[in-house]
Amino acid sequence: MKKAGSALALFALLAATNISAQPTEEQRAQWRAMREARGGEPAGPRPPEGATQEEKRVFYQKRAAERAQAEAVPAGSEHSAHAGQAPTERKAEGSGKTGKPAVAPTPTFAGTAPEQTRGGGAARPGGGAGGMGARGGGALWLSDSPPSRGDGPPRAGMGAMGGMNMGGERSGPPVKRLWLRAGTDPQKSGFAREDAEAPAETLLVRPQGSLAGEPLPPPEEGRKNLSFEMPVQGYYRLYVTTRKLQGDTLNVAVAKAEVSNFSHGGDEEERSQALVAPRVLESAPIEIVREKLPNEKMFFQLKSGEHQAFVVLQKGLPLQGARVRFVSHEGWTKEAVSDGQGRTSFQVVRDYFPPWDDFRKRFKATYLVIAEANAAEAGRHKDQPYGSVRYQATLAGSYYPSPDDYRSHAWGLGVSLLIVILCGIAVYLYRRRRTRPFREVRLDDAE
Amino acid sequence: MTPSKSACITPLQAVRDAVNQVDFNRFRFWFQAIGFVLFVYGGYLAIDLGSRLPFFSCGYNQEGRGGVCYLLPLQHQLGRSWPTLFSAASLAILTGFLVFAAWFIVLNKGWCGFICPLGTLQDWITALRRRLGIRYARYSQGQFAQLTRIKYILLALTILIPLGIGGGWFSRDMSPPFCLICPARMILPIFTGDFSQFTIDFSSKTAMFMTALGMAVTGLFLIGSFVKKRFFCFFCPMSALHYLISRPALLKLKKDGDKCTRCGDCYRVCDMEIKEIADDIKTTDIMTDDCTLCLKCVASCPEPGALKATFVGIPIFESTEAGFIKRMTREHAP
Repeated sequence: MKKAGSALALFALLAATNISAQPTEEQRAQWRAMREARGGEPAGPRPPEGATQEEKRVFYQKRAAERAQAEAVPAGSEHSAHAGQAPTERKAEGSGKTGKPAVAPTPTFAGTAPEQTRGGGAARPGGGAGGMGARGGGALWLSDSPPSRGDGPPRAGMGAMGGMNMGGERSGPPVKRLWLRAGTDPQKSGFAREDAEAPAETLLVRPQGSLAGEPLPPPEEGRKNLSFEMPVQGYYRLYVTTRKLQGDTLNVAVAKAEVSNFSHGGDEEERSQALVAPRVLESAPIEIVREKLPNEKMFFQLKSGEHQAFVVLQKGLPLQGARVRFVSHEGWTKEAVSDGQGRTSFQVVRDYFPPWDDFRKRFKATYLVIAEANAAEAGRHKDQPYGSVRYQATLAGSYYPSPDDYRSHAWGLGVSLLIVILCGIAVYLYRRRRTRPFREVRLDDAE
Repeated sequence: MTPSKSACITPLQAVRDAVNQVDFNRFRFWFQAIGFVLFVYGGYLAIDLGSRLPFFSCGYNQEGRGGVCYLLPLQHQLGRSWPTLFSAASLAILTGFLVFAAWFIVLNKGWCGFICPLGTLQDWITALRRRLGIRYARYSQGQFAQLTRIKYILLALTILIPLGIGGGWFSRDMSPPFCLICPARMILPIFTGDFSQFTIDFSSKTAMFMTALGMAVTGLFLIGSFVKKRFFCFFCPMSALHYLISRPALLKLKKDGDKCTRCGDCYRVCDMEIKEIADDIKTTDIMTDDCTLCLKCVASCPEPGALKATFVGIPIFESTEAGFIKRMTREHAP
């Protein structure tokens, strides 16, 4: 019973350590200071205390819609306030890294909010005129989090692109929500504005649906997100394509999102089929396909420090010579050119360096891959002639801190070896203590 | 045996005699070895028997596992947020448990004695100790009575802590609590060259404590298994869960008290030191909560029909005098 008591004491201690994992007063003060650094105002209205998930969702949607309306007014002060969603320090870092003034906003497909151009366009790698740099701030991409929330540790009930999807809070198939954002900085990109001249064509390819995909209804009134149900296991791919004529050039942009929906239970055959199903849309003018690793499982998570390859395809065929840019969560960029197989590979840089007390091993960072190519194709768009086409494809994904950042083999081995040695010595001493020297006992039958 | 007698033996009787006189230790060794290969390396052969297995086929053995121990998904499922847990999603917990029970009901605790890779590993460590000529340790009856309760405490914590995590009382870094301290998580992946679990996680205080505790338990497991037969099985929450649902199981260990002479052979060979197997002459269904159904007691019993293993009530292996003598002769052969 003494040992049982020890086990209980261990878990009581464990509970105590857990209490210390809660936010401390110091942390709360730090958060308040950060909020004040954004101008003394809270980041925005908050949902009421004790609100349900559904109430919070409605609240955030309403707030996002209001912000989008505010963004539509080209007032610099308002934009600054919106950019303040991200901590001030982060903004300063971003501008410092780029070492370059913001690129003037270029009219692109969906009008990019000016502050987003400022934030994201600075990472221009110096490509040729009219290439990636000319529209550096305006790339459209699909994100699984709205700009107002940012990234970080996954929230309960939210699936992740490329991560484990735990399904909806309640019964029924899980619902995935995606937001169309504009910019090249995964953190600072804001909502993409609707552009009447470049209407978006949205195509959803379901695991057991048509390979050519099916149109997805536009967001409901007042909502920014594209949502769809995921009743079966597999990869769901959403393509948002826009076409806009700019001078003599037709800009074709394809924002793609790939969402994995797998569960431990369910139909195994369905899961097996989904894992080997094609992940390419042959009708897509251009698209980026994340190359699966050889040992990749259903619940794959990309870790910082790992290599990830991408394949650029045009109408389902490899596109050679496309300029491919990888943008990390903190805005670090690297550019490469696709090879004969349309393939490029990047090492995901480690760019998550919080103070150790704030470190979260489940911190979900977002990367963005942008591929661009020009083609001397002539044709007509909306009865207007064009002489060349500029293709742009985007794909966002997530990555997490590498276990090497927070796990130690040396300590693990050390602790177990220490226990082995201590217990071994204890057993040896215990046995030696109980070993009595031989002593002959003579019994006298006469007694 | 005279020709007239052999003519009377039916083929079924011949099979039974062959089984009852089998070289049991060798049979069990190879059965366990096959089970070990199947559940530690089966994944390389595309074997996947699901995630509801009633023994420690560790899910952390990413590449080689041939299935997953039920305690892992159970803890994950119980760790869901309470609104999810108490919704239709909880049906998945129920169906998962039913699948687990369906697996379990076939072999009862025989999964522990014949299949469990961690149990097999302990038997191999015991064999190594024996070869080195080091004597084994035994518990006193008082110690035994106390230690046997720990597995129920661990089972309760294995269920309650995930519920607390789902309710927001504990950090998610404690999940899955039992797996974090189970030595199978550290040791079984090593057989496929994966040392990734042999680490301390410094990302939070809770994670650090749990992983350090896991490494300490692993060290304890290695040294404990070396000096004590089936050291970890005394504390195994899976064993406790088995016993709670063992009544409808198909494989049973039966004892006929009228035929028992209380010689104590069965107790002496029992790895789990279960005294009732020798002393209790009233109970017919003799399997206790610590029993692993290894059937070594049946193999060592010299009294015909005193101990037997039955499957759906049909005896499949029982003690016989001839079997006892044959095994003794083999064991003590020069």
